Formats: sequence, structure tokens, C-alpha cells
Amino acid sequence: MNRDGAAPFEELLAGSVAAHGHLCPGQIVGVRMAMLGLRLLDFEAPPTYPQLKQLIVFIEMDRCTGDAVAFVTNAKLGRRSLKFMDYGIMAATFLNLESGKAFRVISTEESRDLAQMYVPQETDKRQAQLESYRIMPDSVMFRVQRVKVDLTPFDLPGPTRRKATCRKCGQVVRDGREVIRDGQTYCRPCARGAYFTEAQEIAWEEMNWSPFLTIPGKDFAARQGEPAT
Amino acid sequence: MIKTVKLEEAVGTKLAHDITEIRPGEFKGPAFRKGHTVCQEDICRMQRLGKNHLYVIDLEADEIHENEAAAILADALAGEGVVWENNPREGKINLYAGRDGLLQVSTQSLAAFNLVDEVMCATLHSHTLVKTGELIGATRAIPLIMKRAIIERAAAIARQNRGVLTVRPLRRARAGLIITGNEVYHGLIQDRFAPVLSSKIQSLGSEMAALAFAPDDAETITRAILSHLEQGCDLLLLSGGMSVDPDDVTRHAIHRAGATEIHYGSAVLPGAMFLVAYLGEVPLLGVPACALHHPVTTLDLVLPRILAGERIGKLELALLGHGGLCRDCQECAYPACPFGKGA
Repeated sequence: MNRDGAAPFEELLAGSVAAHGHLCPGQIVGVRMAMLGLRLLDFEAPPTYPQLKQLIVFIEMDRCTGDAVAFVTNAKLGRRSLKFMDYGIMAATFLNLESGKAFRVISTEESRDLAQMYVPQETDKRQAQLESYRIMPDSVMFRVQRVKVDLTPFDLPGPTRRKATCRKCGQVVRDGREVIRDGQTYCRPCARGAYFTEAQEIAWEEMNWSPFLTIPGKDFAARQGEPAT
Repeated sequence: MIKTVKLEEAVGTKLAHDITEIRPGEFKGPAFRKGHTVCQEDICRMQRLGKNHLYVIDLEADEIHENEAAAILADALAGEGVVWENNPREGKINLYAGRDGLLQVSTQSLAAFNLVDEVMCATLHSHTLVKTGELIGATRAIPLIMKRAIIERAAAIARQNRGVLTVRPLRRARAGLIITGNEVYHGLIQDRFAPVLSSKIQSLGSEMAALAFAPDDAETITRAILSHLEQGCDLLLLSGGMSVDPDDVTRHAIHRAGATEIHYGSAVLPGAMFLVAYLGEVPLLGVPACALHHPVTTLDLVLPRILAGERIGKLELALLGHGGLCRDCQECAYPACPFGKGA
């Protein structure tokens, strides 16, 4: 088993740092958070393929820690095994779909306060965090809650369960994310507003580009400057 | 879960916690202990103690009473050489030295423990010399009932590094003393170091196994060091020659004797020119002249720790700086004073 220990930790951290782009305290917290979450589910770190198929990870922050959790667990947004909950909380939940067991691992604020006590010779706060987060026990770094996570079939990996069409804009909405209002179907932007405003459809230059040309006898360069039809 | 009942309706119920009585200047303690069955005669006294309601406890599966919590906490906090009795009073359990020795407190574990909501532990300072049976710490869970998981996490934190409080026995060292300096060696002045240092060594339970005098000559001092080692000394103390005068060759001699590690200078006043070196595993302490004029110097802070098996290096000497300034009181109250307690 790839349990806690310096060697697997350093290996996972190195991989995570390469994927994320830099080493920072959040990376260490994330790697350890994921290792703990997986251990609580009795999964390996990283999970084996069969374990990965049973795993859903909820990340509650979009910070360095989130990338590390995603790296170690191999959870992916596009595979629907990674869910982003925009709570701004340094926490992640690890759910075993088969057993229903789920553990929410919360990074403690105390661990930040204690970082310099664990390495008293280090005066730089960031450096102290980098060193102390390697040696602090999980009990200081994290609190863990056993939680129940209710998922609908619309949240699960696998093929699209349902498609609906927005009555207002015509957009197709997948997996039950449509909004029913007065018996009519809408997409969320039309029903509730969106993160964007003032949407206006545009045309753009080189609109017919594609990675592989599909029109026989014509290459992309030859079509440059042709009048639009 | 805690329910509240009116005092007059509480007859026949069992007390969920101790009820404390305070008579200023006379008494503070439990007037009624947890588990006591309330009877009619108790009501008046409880009213006098300001009680109009009592708690009745109905514990949920994931809840724990303060007394059980305190026992779990005490068990986790107590490292080697620490004892406690599972007889909580008002939710509190005291921790005692189980042997004579040096109290060591893992301050980062203690801080991490106390940062958990609803638990607390207070201790004497780390590196305090203690006697068997001496009170060295106390712990309690603050609410009457609390979630078991919180107590278990606090206990896990306390158990890192094998407990927060440890009493390490002092080893019985065979100490070798070398008094350096031309003025003493040639009999120009009488040595006062040997009695002072012998007394300190013996008061910590070690023995003075060898004593030598040497002039300010590196080669002679080196020979004295090696001779002491050959005689089986497992702790060496050198006095004199620690300052920056050209005649002060003690450090050079220690180096020549094959010291693997030499740390000169400690963040303590008096005792800045203190030296710690190691000849293999044998610690060698260089004691500056201030030890003749001040009752307590770096030596008194470091020697018990060395005898308790701690390896004193550059970091340990540096950390003495906080609290390392003696107030030079007319009447020295050490160890009941802040000197050396900040490390």
C-alpha cells in the first residue's frame, strides 16, 4: 500500500509541483490533504484504476491546494470525478461512490499559526510553512468530518443523462442543469443571470480555420482574402 | 445533550458535575461531587451557592462527559516519567512528576493542543528540574459535555512526540573538571572555581571524578582533557580562558583534543562566553569566569539538560536568548524566576 511516508509523499509532491508550476505551502497541504482523504477511504495514493472509478473529490477552493488534491487523486473535472465548490474554504471531500463513505478534510488555521513553532530556527514565514508542513502530524494539519454526500444520477460520471433546450435562447442544457419556471425550461443564464453580462454574438477573423482542412483542393492560405460569401 | 431542571425538582437526580464552593480565603473546592444524588437537605445549601437550576445530562452516542474527556487528555499528554490519577475534580486532572528529573514540554505540541477548541493544558516551563510527586501540569475539557471526536483529535495532537510532558531522569555523570589559567596554576591566586562547579555537579546527582589544573597552554590543556577521558569521565567542564584575550587558549585546546562540534557563545547574560563542545559523545562545557560572581549562569540552564540526555547545539544556545537576561536581583530566587524559561 502506498501509505503515508516520506518517499511516496515526496514523489507525489514533485509530480504535483511539476503539474502546478511551483512549490508553495499550499501544494504541500494539498498533497497531504489528498493522501489523508484517500487513506481514510482505504484507497492508494494515487488511486488504482478501479479505485479511481469509485472516487469523487469535491474541492472547496480554487487555490494551489486544489491543484495538488486534483493531482494526487487523479480526479478530473471532465471525468466528473472532480467537483469544484466555490466556498473559499481550504477543504476537500473524498467520496467512495460504492460504499457511500465520504470524509471532508479541512485544513486548520492553527497549522498556519504553528508553522514557525515547529521550525523555530526559520524566520521566513513561507519557508517555515514549507518545512513545518512536512513534519506536522495530520492531527494538527487537518480536521476531518464524516459527511453524507447526496449525488443525483445527473452528477455521476458516465454518459449524459438528459438534454433539455432553453426556451429563451435555444441553448441545449445537459444533465439536469436546466431551470423549470412556470412549466417552461430555461438555461441557468437565462433564468438566473450569469457570471457574464451584455452577451453579443460576434463574427471574427479566420472563422473557417480548423486543425485539419476539410475542403478538398483548397488550403487555408489560398482562402485568405477571399470575399466572404 | 444537557437539560436544565429547577432545583426544587432535582431531588433524586444525580449531579452531572461537581458544584464548586468558594469561601474567600478559606476554601475552594467541590461542595458536591459529580454523581451525588440530590436530596431534600441539599436544596438549601445549593441555593446558598447560587444554584437555582441543575444540569441533567443525557449523553448522545458521540458525546463525552468532561471527566471522561479529561482522563483521555491526561493519558495522551503524559509522556515518560509523568503520572496522573483518574480522579477528576471539577473536570480537571493534575499531572505529576513520576520521578526526579528534568521536565520537558513539547511547546509546539502544547500550543497545537491548546488551539483545539474546548480543551486546555497548562504546564510548568520546559527544562524545569522537578521532584517525584511535584505538580507539573493540569488539563481539563472546558464544557461539561463535548463531542468525542474533538477530544480524540486533541489527544492525538498531544500524543505526537510521545506526549506533551516528559520527565527525563538525570544521568549520574562522572564529571572531569579542568581549571585553567596561569594565575591559579602558578599559585598567584587561589582557585574558587573547583568548589563552585563541584557543588553544582553534585547537587544534580553526579560525581566529581577527576580534577586537574592547567596553565594557559593549549597543549597542557589538551593533555588534561585526554587524560580525563582516559579516566572514564563522561562529562568535562573547563573553566577559564573563555574570553577573547590572547592568553585565552582553551578553545584552541578543545579543538586540538579532537572535538567534533564546538559552539562558542550563548544568548544568555551572564554566560555569553559559554562553550559547548563534543568529544565523540562526551559533552564538554566551557564555563566563563562569570560563574564565580553570579549564582546562576548559562551553565545552570544547560547542565541539567545535558544530564537529561539532550544534545545542546547552536540552535539550543541561541533559543536561550528569550528570557536569557538575568535581572540580577539582590536576593536570587532562581529557579522561581523567569531566567532561562523562555527557550
